[in-house]
Amino acid sequence: MTNLIPEKKGSSVMPNIDPIIHIDKQLCTGCRRCASVCPVDAITGEAGTPQSIDAHRCVICGQCIQACTAYAAESEPSLASRAEKLRQRGQVSSVREPLFAAYSTGHGLELKEALADPKRHKVVQCAPVIRVSLAEEFGLPFGTLTPGKMAAALRRLNFDRVYDTNFGADVTIMEEGSELIGRVMSGERLPMFTSCCPAWVKHAETTAPQLLEHLSSCKSPMQMIGALVKTYSAEVDGVDPADILSVAVMPCTCKKFEAGREEMNVDGHQEVDLVITTRELAQLIKDKGIDFINLPDEPFDSPLGKYSGAGTIFGATGGVMEAAIRTGYELMTHESIPNLQLDFIRGDEGIRTAAVQIGDLELKVAMVAGLKYVSSILEQVAEGTCPYHFIEVMACPEGCVSGGGQPKLLLETQRKSAYQARKSSIYRHDANQKVRKSHENPAIIKLYKDFLGEPLGHASHHLLHTKFISRSAKEELS
Amino acid sequence: MKRERPNSFVIAEAGKCIGCKACELACFAVHNQDNGVAASVGTITMPVLPRLYVIRSDSFAMPVQCRHCENAPCAGVCPVQAIRQEEGAILIDEDRCIGCKACAMACPFGAVSLYKSYGNGQEIEQPYLKEQQNGRLERKTRIIAYKCDLCRNIASAANTVSEETVTSVAVDQSGRLTENGGGSLPACVSVCPEQALTLVSPILGESRSRTAADVGSLRSLRL
Repeated sequence: MTNLIPEKKGSSVMPNIDPIIHIDKQLCTGCRRCASVCPVDAITGEAGTPQSIDAHRCVICGQCIQACTAYAAESEPSLASRAEKLRQRGQVSSVREPLFAAYSTGHGLELKEALADPKRHKVVQCAPVIRVSLAEEFGLPFGTLTPGKMAAALRRLNFDRVYDTNFGADVTIMEEGSELIGRVMSGERLPMFTSCCPAWVKHAETTAPQLLEHLSSCKSPMQMIGALVKTYSAEVDGVDPADILSVAVMPCTCKKFEAGREEMNVDGHQEVDLVITTRELAQLIKDKGIDFINLPDEPFDSPLGKYSGAGTIFGATGGVMEAAIRTGYELMTHESIPNLQLDFIRGDEGIRTAAVQIGDLELKVAMVAGLKYVSSILEQVAEGTCPYHFIEVMACPEGCVSGGGQPKLLLETQRKSAYQARKSSIYRHDANQKVRKSHENPAIIKLYKDFLGEPLGHASHHLLHTKFISRSAKEELS
Repeated sequence: MKRERPNSFVIAEAGKCIGCKACELACFAVHNQDNGVAASVGTITMPVLPRLYVIRSDSFAMPVQCRHCENAPCAGVCPVQAIRQEEGAILIDEDRCIGCKACAMACPFGAVSLYKSYGNGQEIEQPYLKEQQNGRLERKTRIIAYKCDLCRNIASAANTVSEETVTSVAVDQSGRLTENGGGSLPACVSVCPEQALTLVSPILGESRSRTAADVGSLRSLRL
């Protein structure tokens, strides 16, 4: 893996060996609420004693971080000082919120230093759901939509280009939709699973390596943007890819792991150098003294900042499916899809299924929200009895809106309303877009015309597709 | 004739408590909306100062908080009459409190704590009293007594108790902690994942010879 920050050799690359999710043994009370939300039973330990994480099983979804309420109390100072703990956790020293036992490796401190370097061309992308949750960190109501303030804040943090993962979601639909059509036509490697949730991918690699050919070969939208930042956008801006610092703001702790995967590089350059969470972005904004609430709305930069409504809804469970059907329907039938809002796909149950008539084909689809629900589907696929063509899997309970890096709630009683408001906000944002289908996004059309050629073409394969690896315990030990 | 009703209080069952401290966090959250604390942890700019504390031993954990004593010893020793009985609860007037610690010493349960006072998320300094700090005289931070007030002075305490109530909050789509599902439970009781906490509202005479301190007496009290 190539290090792209010459001044700090080795530090910018997020190593795979960092388990990313940690439990601070000084703070853990052994209540095991984290274990009760872990979808893969990766948290072990006796009740009443500090817990441990089995890094092999852990899918780094961060749900334990969201659930943990064991904090460092003022009245019982922990062994290490607060400043030392913040440093160990990779957080900027100005963070004032309480420290909890379960936490993820932070990259705010590292990013703060990198942003001060004038020699680097600093590029950032934001996941669809950051704009519906970031404002909560500044005391605004659940689901407040702030794409413009977010872009403005990122510019004030010293980023040279503010791009959008939503654009990558649109590219994903072009590639994944074409891949699905090809597989359905040939009848090969069905069902096809989505591959944009890194926690799901890690889980599949760990527990079902024999089924990996059923995953779409598409990289996630984040990695697609990363690849395009160091090729297409570098070309447009006339910047040497080696000088680019590629940063992603994600609702997800596992994105830190994904960015560090060895195969996620293009021509020797790591596609995404640093990933920070929604919470870490808020901490950096506060650290710089930016008055987020009163910021003006600013646009994203071109070319990787123009997105469709289909790209936006990736953040909610069923969103990838809905976006894919909007485009897949039109690519297959060459007719306009009669209804853009596919309500039958929306919802919050663990498994939802639907059948969609596309021309002569009855496309059978399933949406899985929460990894604990996927095992029955995997069994069906292994037995050859799975009836679906296309299956979306999101590791978190309601998709990325409930990701492990999202704002952490103080009261469990508000969780449901928070997720619902974030989701409604995403759908509202989609409904207000002029362009709501990925293949009609003018910036996507231009990308394929000027740079990629066609979906699944040579350039696409080189930049946007990948292979997955077995992580079965047997192979890891050898 | 006015019917006498003993003060309500919250008590925990040690057998159920898992020591997660969700009650402490909820207590702090609902009491500090004036300090900028909203729904997200990221809005906190001050130490977490709850009004109940989870105590632990090798064999059990349970939160301890004010029992709202009928003849409150804390009120008896307060030299400035900052502790009062109001509508079935023993409350501290934090503006009046001088931080003398008499109440903390008098409390048989250790339910009173003294901590810095905060306003708008910042420490409140005293107008006159100063102390030597960093080689110069600086105004000393105000210290006051904190204890459980049964969430009485909170417009509503995010006291959502049932799935239905949570849904009714969702309609409002608000991140504000003032949202209420219509319940009146203290925040600690409503968030406990193990239902280890109970709000007890006894009726005079029904506890007979047993004291309220006996957890077993919960069965004989009309809830």
